[in-house]
Amino acid sequence: MAQLGRLESVLRAAHFAVCGEMGPPQGADKGAILKKCGNFRNVADAVNLTDNQTAIVRMSSVMSSVFAIEGGIEPIMQMTCRDRNRLAQQSDILGAYAAGVRNVLCLSGDYMSFGNHPDAKGVFDLDSVQLIHTVAEMNAGRFLSGDEMKTPPRMFIGGAANPFAPPMELRVMRLAKKIAAGAHFIQTQPVFDFPRFERWLSLIRDQGLDKKVFILAGVMPVRSVKALLHMRDNVPGMTVADEYIKRMEGASDPKEEGVAICVEMMKRLAQTPGTSGVHIMPVMWESITPRLVEEAGLLPRPEPPAETSDAATKEAAA
Amino acid sequence: MSAFTKKFAAFVERHPTLYKTVLLLENAVKKPALNCQSCGQCVLSYNAFTCPMRCPKQLRNGPCGGTRENGRCEVYPEKDCIWFLINERATKLGREKKLLKFHKPVDRRLQGTSAWINMWAGRIEGMSWSKDLEEKDVQPGGSKRDTKP
Repeated sequence: MAQLGRLESVLRAAHFAVCGEMGPPQGADKGAILKKCGNFRNVADAVNLTDNQTAIVRMSSVMSSVFAIEGGIEPIMQMTCRDRNRLAQQSDILGAYAAGVRNVLCLSGDYMSFGNHPDAKGVFDLDSVQLIHTVAEMNAGRFLSGDEMKTPPRMFIGGAANPFAPPMELRVMRLAKKIAAGAHFIQTQPVFDFPRFERWLSLIRDQGLDKKVFILAGVMPVRSVKALLHMRDNVPGMTVADEYIKRMEGASDPKEEGVAICVEMMKRLAQTPGTSGVHIMPVMWESITPRLVEEAGLLPRPEPPAETSDAATKEAAA
Repeated sequence: MSAFTKKFAAFVERHPTLYKTVLLLENAVKKPALNCQSCGQCVLSYNAFTCPMRCPKQLRNGPCGGTRENGRCEVYPEKDCIWFLINERATKLGREKKLLKFHKPVDRRLQGTSAWINMWAGRIEGMSWSKDLEEKDVQPGGSKRDTKP
């Protein structure tokens, strides 16, 4: 068996995991990625590299993930179904794995109309559940066509879940479907409505699904009440509890309040049964990540697995 | 499908005019009533007789994360999220279990062909009237998959 990635090792060892997230640059600037990596090194176990998020063109998530490895962090390569058909998706998985990427997050993708090329054709050849299935098949040594491959990848497969969009029972059904299709971990939308998250998680626990997949709950530090209101009013499928809006409105230093809310949520989630980790989405505020993780009491991070040479791995497998 | 339906499908496919007639009939039923998108591989019976191909992202395995609080679509706020409707109708009809079915990737070659004939020919899975779901419908990879946590 090939060397496990850091995220997978941390989760399998039952440590509470920390993931981060960064958007690749809107330009051919490798340095921007390397610079952002500094905010996550030794702070997050793995970091999402987004794939043209909100349908705005950025550097490809495949190449950004490869650069992130150079920057000393473990990438979670996001892959949407919006921009590639099943051939391109499979070939990118092969290339990314060969370059050292060990985690992939399979997504449907934001619709083109939300981005900066609303006139583009959407691909949506596969959907996210089928993409999870495809990567699981590739891990097992087969292409989606059924053809076998000699050197299969071994990706740690992720999916997304939104506990806050209706109807809740269908969200749970879809999660079960993603698990059956081969998902190893799940990342959620940011939690700003804990009671609703708890309700969703209790349905998950009732079906024993939290035992079959690692659930990483999303959190997001916000700098202003405007950001919260934007999320509540303009991001479909998101809910924000009034409590946080009041707190942000009343705060003399909104940035500090935003950090306090985020840290509180991280601590609460770490105590919530069924949650295996947090996924921090510091949109445009990556530099705050070390402080969040520190104050939530999640430092130091567990040591990464010791490097083993290919020969040793082969010996162990034999 | 039985040997008879396969023979019948083959016969229809050999006769273009007959094929067009069947397709016309199918479309006459499906297009006005169900807003059929002619994918040629109907999954209506699994989705409370509501076509998921009407979703802007053509999601056949459940909704994306963008369903609005009022059950409307994130892309077209004036339209219902098709999966919100499917869930409502499935609950009403007692067909919620059917929603757990894993729908494999769409065969794009079948776009515009007759799902009825494809079903008779045994080319697609076709209709399933029972409210129950079989194990094979849920687990796409079978036992050959690597282990979960």
